[in-house]
Amino acid sequence: MKITYVKKIKADGSPCKKCAEVTERLENADQMKFIDEVVIADERDPGSLGMIIARDLAVERAPFFVVEKDDGDTVVYTVYFKFVKEVLNQQADDKQANKDILEQNDLDFL
Amino acid sequence: MKFEAQEIQTLSQNFQTRSPQEILEMAFDTVVDVAISFSGAEDVVLVDMASKITKDFRVFTLDTGRLHAETYQFLDKVRQKYGVSIEAQFPRAEDVEALLAEKGFFSFYQDDHKECCGIRKVGPLRNKLATLDGWITGQRRDQSPGTRTDIPVVQIDQAFSRSDNTLLKFNPLSMWSSEQVWAYIRQNDVPYNALHEKGFTSIGCEPCTRPVLPNQHEREGRWWWEEATAKECGLHAAANAPTLK
Repeated sequence: MKITYVKKIKADGSPCKKCAEVTERLENADQMKFIDEVVIADERDPGSLGMIIARDLAVERAPFFVVEKDDGDTVVYTVYFKFVKEVLNQQADDKQANKDILEQNDLDFL
Repeated sequence: MKFEAQEIQTLSQNFQTRSPQEILEMAFDTVVDVAISFSGAEDVVLVDMASKITKDFRVFTLDTGRLHAETYQFLDKVRQKYGVSIEAQFPRAEDVEALLAEKGFFSFYQDDHKECCGIRKVGPLRNKLATLDGWITGQRRDQSPGTRTDIPVVQIDQAFSRSDNTLLKFNPLSMWSSEQVWAYIRQNDVPYNALHEKGFTSIGCEPCTRPVLPNQHEREGRWWWEEATAKECGLHAAANAPTLK
């Protein structure tokens, strides 16, 4: 299994706030050791690896995780807590996961 | 079921100019376990359209416990008119109890709506979507110009997909305007929520929804006390660069 963590640099060159937050969570929980590669999606450069991956996998939000399984299957996670629960098999805070989903997805229509 | 991103993008492009009814038919043909998400508002048109395509369709709603009385009455009216069971999803009682015990009944006015919505909407939605292969929403591009300018008619729902199952999200009304929705409602004698006659455009929970004035955007009737901040999680290619889609 290969895990790629894609974080974003915004069009104005600043790092995205959510990416910084997720990186901090990964570091605090000692989970960076599970990440095989960290890739940057630079909004100023559509040719940056992260932007290419996002385009190929039709991902619209950052940060996100790409999990390439040994059987060749690829799964994208846009919610950190879901990634932690399903891939790292670690406990995840459902309440925080729900807030994350709200922050990263437009669910106002519900 | 597993779908490739490319496959779904192509499907979406092929149906971009099709009617909502054709997109609904495509949804029913593409996945078996698919259900319409019905909020008790204008998305009733999806129920009406589906009823003319098949008698075997599913509808679910999120009963947050804080809906208007008019919305509950409307949900029941729809249930009776279309002879469809409306599958209501409820929040976990212990989560609601903990929130109320700690912060009271109106914490969203002090904090923001995310904690309450997380408990009352997202949790139940996650539970429901875990049982489905696809869901059908009434999302439209004109509802929230800042964030919904590029809603595809079908997409992989990465937030709710599971590692062993790709969840598809169908948005048959994506290309329709509010005017088209209401023209459909009038022409087809579709029932609608009585709150619309009281100036409500967008309808959610009772404490978080209010009527809007003429020419106010419908989103101004939701969470009006919160400062509108730009959502920054989307990936936007620089101007004049090819977009991600």
